[in-house]
Amino acid sequence: MNRWERWGWTLAALPAVLVLLVTFGLPLAQSLAASFVRDGRPTLENYALVYRLYRQDVLYTLGVAAAGVLLTFACGIHLAGYFRLRAWPWVEFLLKVPLFVPFVVTGHAMRVFLQPSGTLSLALGALGLVAPGTRLGLGEGWLGLVLALTWKHLALVVLLLVGAFRAVDDSYLEAAQGFGAGYLRQTWAVLVPMSATPLALACVLTLTSMLGSFSIPLLMSRGSGPQMLMIDLYYRFGQHGDFGVASALGVISYVLASGAVYAYLRSVAR
Amino acid sequence: MEVRVEGLVKRYGRVLALAGVNHVFPSGALTAVVGPSGCGKTTLLRVLAGFVQPEEGRVWMDGRDVTGVPPQARRCALVFQNYALWPHMTVFDNVAFGLRLQRLPASEVERRVRETLALVELDRVPGIERRRPKELSGGQQQRVALARALAVRPGLLLLDEPLSNLDAKVRQRVRGEIRTLQRRTGITTVYVTHDQEEALSIADDLVVMDGGRIVQSGRPEEVYAHPEDPFVAEFLGSTNVLNGTVGPDGRILPSSEGRLLFRAEDTAVWPAGQSLPPDYAWAPAEVVDCLFLGHVYRAYVRLGDTVVLADTKARVGPGQVVVAVPRDRLLIFSGSEPAARR
Amino acid sequence: MRSPSPSLLGLVGRAALGALVLVAVVGPLLSLGLWSVAERWHWPAPFPQQVGMKYWSRMLQGDPLRALTRGVTIASVTTVLALAMAVPVAYLAARRRLPAGPLALALFILPQAFPQLPVFASATVLFYRWNLAGTVPGVVLIHLVGGLVYAVWTLTAAFRSIGPELEEAAQNLGASTTRTFFRVTLPLAMPGVVASAILVFLHSLDEFNGTLLVGAPYVTTLPVYMYTASLGYELQIASVTALVLMVPGVVLLLLLERFLRAEYLAFFGHL
Repeated sequence: MNRWERWGWTLAALPAVLVLLVTFGLPLAQSLAASFVRDGRPTLENYALVYRLYRQDVLYTLGVAAAGVLLTFACGIHLAGYFRLRAWPWVEFLLKVPLFVPFVVTGHAMRVFLQPSGTLSLALGALGLVAPGTRLGLGEGWLGLVLALTWKHLALVVLLLVGAFRAVDDSYLEAAQGFGAGYLRQTWAVLVPMSATPLALACVLTLTSMLGSFSIPLLMSRGSGPQMLMIDLYYRFGQHGDFGVASALGVISYVLASGAVYAYLRSVAR
Repeated sequence: MEVRVEGLVKRYGRVLALAGVNHVFPSGALTAVVGPSGCGKTTLLRVLAGFVQPEEGRVWMDGRDVTGVPPQARRCALVFQNYALWPHMTVFDNVAFGLRLQRLPASEVERRVRETLALVELDRVPGIERRRPKELSGGQQQRVALARALAVRPGLLLLDEPLSNLDAKVRQRVRGEIRTLQRRTGITTVYVTHDQEEALSIADDLVVMDGGRIVQSGRPEEVYAHPEDPFVAEFLGSTNVLNGTVGPDGRILPSSEGRLLFRAEDTAVWPAGQSLPPDYAWAPAEVVDCLFLGHVYRAYVRLGDTVVLADTKARVGPGQVVVAVPRDRLLIFSGSEPAARR
Repeated sequence: MRSPSPSLLGLVGRAALGALVLVAVVGPLLSLGLWSVAERWHWPAPFPQQVGMKYWSRMLQGDPLRALTRGVTIASVTTVLALAMAVPVAYLAARRRLPAGPLALALFILPQAFPQLPVFASATVLFYRWNLAGTVPGVVLIHLVGGLVYAVWTLTAAFRSIGPELEEAAQNLGASTTRTFFRVTLPLAMPGVVASAILVFLHSLDEFNGTLLVGAPYVTTLPVYMYTASLGYELQIASVTALVLMVPGVVLLLLLERFLRAEYLAFFGHL
């Protein structure tokens, strides 16, 4: 590559960098700055307001995300272990479907499915598993949110874990099987520890994605009681026009996401 | 444990990995199964371990039919080609894995692990039981793999190319150690390898496989000296193959009726015109090239349209010569019929 | 080559697991299907009292059709722009010739790591200042954030998988780097470019957070339309829209499942 070509290529690469700087870098910096400014003066008042109004919601968000990660990985590890040990392509394929269902659609589908008069209540009533006419309150509280978030994220987690588990050579599993280790022990004693790094990565990414989830809780929440952080941010920004407090909420979400930032930056460094 | 297999057949897609295998693996003996890659030897080993179900045929262990029995109920221990030592566990945990699954008390597990590590002579390395496989040399990993297999006191020890990941010098030593260990413990052992020298040196009982079949079995000396089949002869080191017959005067004549096989080390190169002893088969030939291999010279000699190899003590120059093979070292096959010596 | 041991317990467990996965995955989607054809459905009947395609036919006119065509237009523009801008970056990154390499690449991965909403909210403030809020160019710009990230990473992977020796062979014969790129590298990378384009297109079509903040109420795409309908308890309209939104992704999954590499699939998890 001669000097002119080098210049040409670098110039051609510039627009992408500029667009991301304008649409991502600058807004990120602006929200950091705005969180420390109120009425034109530098202050910590935005954070004080967040503490007063939203500290419960921060804990709630953390709780929902943690429960979602636990449920997702409790299901994901066992499913991925099962697919690794006893191939079952069509079920594996089925589990990939939510990967292609957008978050908004997931939110709406789960709302229709889980809300008190939703199709799950109706189906269970029709099957006689609950008294007909029962309104299961799954969809409105934290549990419905956890189920919906798990539904959407499980596909990606299973995809990543099955990939990691398939990278473990058969011989390690057969060695364990020869000594009498069954499916559970092969999964937990061999597959999980041998895939620790991708497992931890998937865990961090799932946690961040759940902490920052917006459209699913937006469609599923009933508007009272504790809310997810992003919902608070949206209303603070959109309805109160309070960019300062919204930014402070945003900065808190950045801090919560720092695990993912670290994980991604490490993957770039490699 | 005496192991008997009868009529084993296994296909992978259209490839016939086992095409009707019958054999008795004698109790307490080390049987080496040797053959080129793809001959079915590894499949046979995995059928014995129970990881592969044969489509036809049966497996007996001490008179019990174990054909449908899952691996964990067979009292077999397999040592994998890559050792398959779990990298996240210490040496101790690796060796203890099978014992813990048998729900032995902790003190008994500890005692058995130490005993087995001593058996494979790893007890001389202080603190080795707390190390992880990655921190060990190849030879040490090999011994840990052996210890893990032996700790559960299996009735049958299966070794899948156990030396292929070691460098040449270590391989020689570990080979001897496996032999000693097998003698000492008296465990019935099946040893799969593609290396004929390794198989010959270690086996009580040698099985040569090709194309999913056992082509010959017996004591290693017997199989080496009396191959019943051109494939076995060639596989066990008879690198020179000529289409021809031996005339009444000992001269080798080109012919499509028969095949002559002989080893490079048995082949002599003499100056043209020298008088020939009567117990040799011979032919005029031309030296094409001569390479120094260290312990011998290897001459490339053109005989008709074939080039044969001859190992000589001294360098032989290019030019006309006579190639000679002692008659009792010459394997003569007619067509694809079994061996007819001399 | 594992031989399954067909114990009764194992078979029953397997059947139960399969049934559970089927219900859990298909159940919510099936209820969308039911709602999309329910012309009348009064609680607590287990099935709609009246079934018909009324709401589906409404999809083909008026607001939803406008939202659909607008979304497709925006997605097309976003895809073309994202690919055109991402190709040079990805190629330089694949050959490790990006000036300030790691720093520049970090810029192209961080949008994945940070929560989107606060950043987009902040971008909205800027866009208002620049008169871009509520306009199609504004929405395209916000879609480019994710679009550029996906494009750069998939294209980098695609270019990296082409051995440099193929380029060196061309350069050895006197071709310039640029000529080599267009005559050798780009044609060989075509499958990756196509996968990348599909990914960016789907991302833009399904994007909700940024479109809601920057575009609403003037620029409405299908996801925003579906959200409005669902919030207004127009469950049928919302369900029809939701199903339409799912179509491209599911068709892609069915057609390309075999060909899409796992690392591409992983990107879809973020849509």
